[in-house]
Amino acid sequence: MRNNWVQAFKGYVRVRVDGAYPERFLNRCIEQRFSIWKIKRVGDERIVFYMDIEDAKKIRPLLRTTDCKVTFAERKGTPAMMRKISLRAGFVVGLAACLAIVLVLSNMVWKVEVEGASPHVEHELRQVVTEMGIKPWTFQFSLPSVEQIQRDVTEQVSGATWVGVRQKGTTYQFEVVEQKLPDEATRVSPRNLVAKKKAIIHDIFVEHGQAEVKPNDFVEKGDMLVKGEIGKEGKTEIVAAIADVRGEIWYKSEASIPLEHLFTTLTGESKNRHYVSFFDLNVPFWGLRSHDFEQVQEFNEQKEFHFLKWELPIKYIRKEFRETSSYNRTYTEEEAIEEAKRMARVELVHRLPEDAEILGEKVLHEALENGKVKLKIHYQVLEDITSAQPIIQGD
Amino acid sequence: MKKIKQQMRVWMTKNMQLPADVMMDLPRITMIGQLHIYIENHRGVLRFSNQELRLLLKQGQLLIKGDQFVIKTILPEELLLEGRIDQVIYLNE
Repeated sequence: MRNNWVQAFKGYVRVRVDGAYPERFLNRCIEQRFSIWKIKRVGDERIVFYMDIEDAKKIRPLLRTTDCKVTFAERKGTPAMMRKISLRAGFVVGLAACLAIVLVLSNMVWKVEVEGASPHVEHELRQVVTEMGIKPWTFQFSLPSVEQIQRDVTEQVSGATWVGVRQKGTTYQFEVVEQKLPDEATRVSPRNLVAKKKAIIHDIFVEHGQAEVKPNDFVEKGDMLVKGEIGKEGKTEIVAAIADVRGEIWYKSEASIPLEHLFTTLTGESKNRHYVSFFDLNVPFWGLRSHDFEQVQEFNEQKEFHFLKWELPIKYIRKEFRETSSYNRTYTEEEAIEEAKRMARVELVHRLPEDAEILGEKVLHEALENGKVKLKIHYQVLEDITSAQPIIQGD
Repeated sequence: MKKIKQQMRVWMTKNMQLPADVMMDLPRITMIGQLHIYIENHRGVLRFSNQELRLLLKQGQLLIKGDQFVIKTILPEELLLEGRIDQVIYLNE
């Protein structure tokens, strides 16, 4: 059977045939293998039907032999439509331009919203953001990713502790958490100070309260250090103990380090390849030549296109191939021990409060197994060991 | 001679289980209710109007009567007619 799509694409025409005996004309057409369809009689001497435009050009000789008159009533299909479109070119161009404008404008930044910031911080943020290019009339794909913006903005805006960035269509929303300076030290309620850990008292300075221990005393966890009670017996008064008690504490830590270690570093050489992605099908269009790096690491970056609020299935993807090189680090046993000690110390310092002080370290045990050096180290550390224990006053 | 050939064909069709339309150039007609009629092996349109379609066959004619006739497709040997079909009549000269 005939294929409607092909017919519609090539174009067809409605034909009116007048004559005493139009059946003869039909038979001639069939003999010539012209494709005709939807034949209908509309009057005594008239039939109408459809035929391909190509065949319609060839029917003139048949008319003479069959004594019929032909009128072409209506053209249909793609060619006819193209003609109509070209007649209304202005309208079509306007429609296309409208779509194009909407598409372009959907990919621009239109609004920058700032939430939760005081006027001062908001002003600062807006300045930083405008400098980065986030302002109306900028294309979204010329901007860094939202995560990148968030990192940069949080770093650059001094008045804010954290800035959350969200992209909602053509709007960039910034949510600001401002720095809050702590309130003035509040009045502390009555309390004792007790030991936080097992320690030897190193020095003690009491501002308020009554010291219960003296240097070189050994305390267990929970032992009373400074009592929140002053005055003579019988005339005591309960106060909030304030004191700085530093004790010597022992820490044990373990560290292990392999003698050989393979490192991968970037050499700084890189090559970009650009893709346009339709429905997750990536089509490279720039930087097609393959890189000649021995070892590479791949980094992807992608930008979506938007139409109004919808994400189009077209994406731009940039793949960056960065050359890497690896090298093997080898330690001798002594070097490995030194390194392990250094690492353990750094780790300990991280764990300790800021005012702590490491008095000494001592390697308890060292072993070499499976190409790894294992150390057990003992540290003496000086730190504040007080912990508050409120005094619950009875009546 | 022609008659012998014809008789030979009839005999072959009957006894050798060969399809009659192929052997003897007969029309093959497929109807779907009153809505469609599909005719193969015709030899041209003699008369076509809203109420009737007269087709030339190898032997004789075929007359289809009904109403609101539209020829949906027409090819050298095939024809698809749509409308309300009331009668299909063979005319033998």
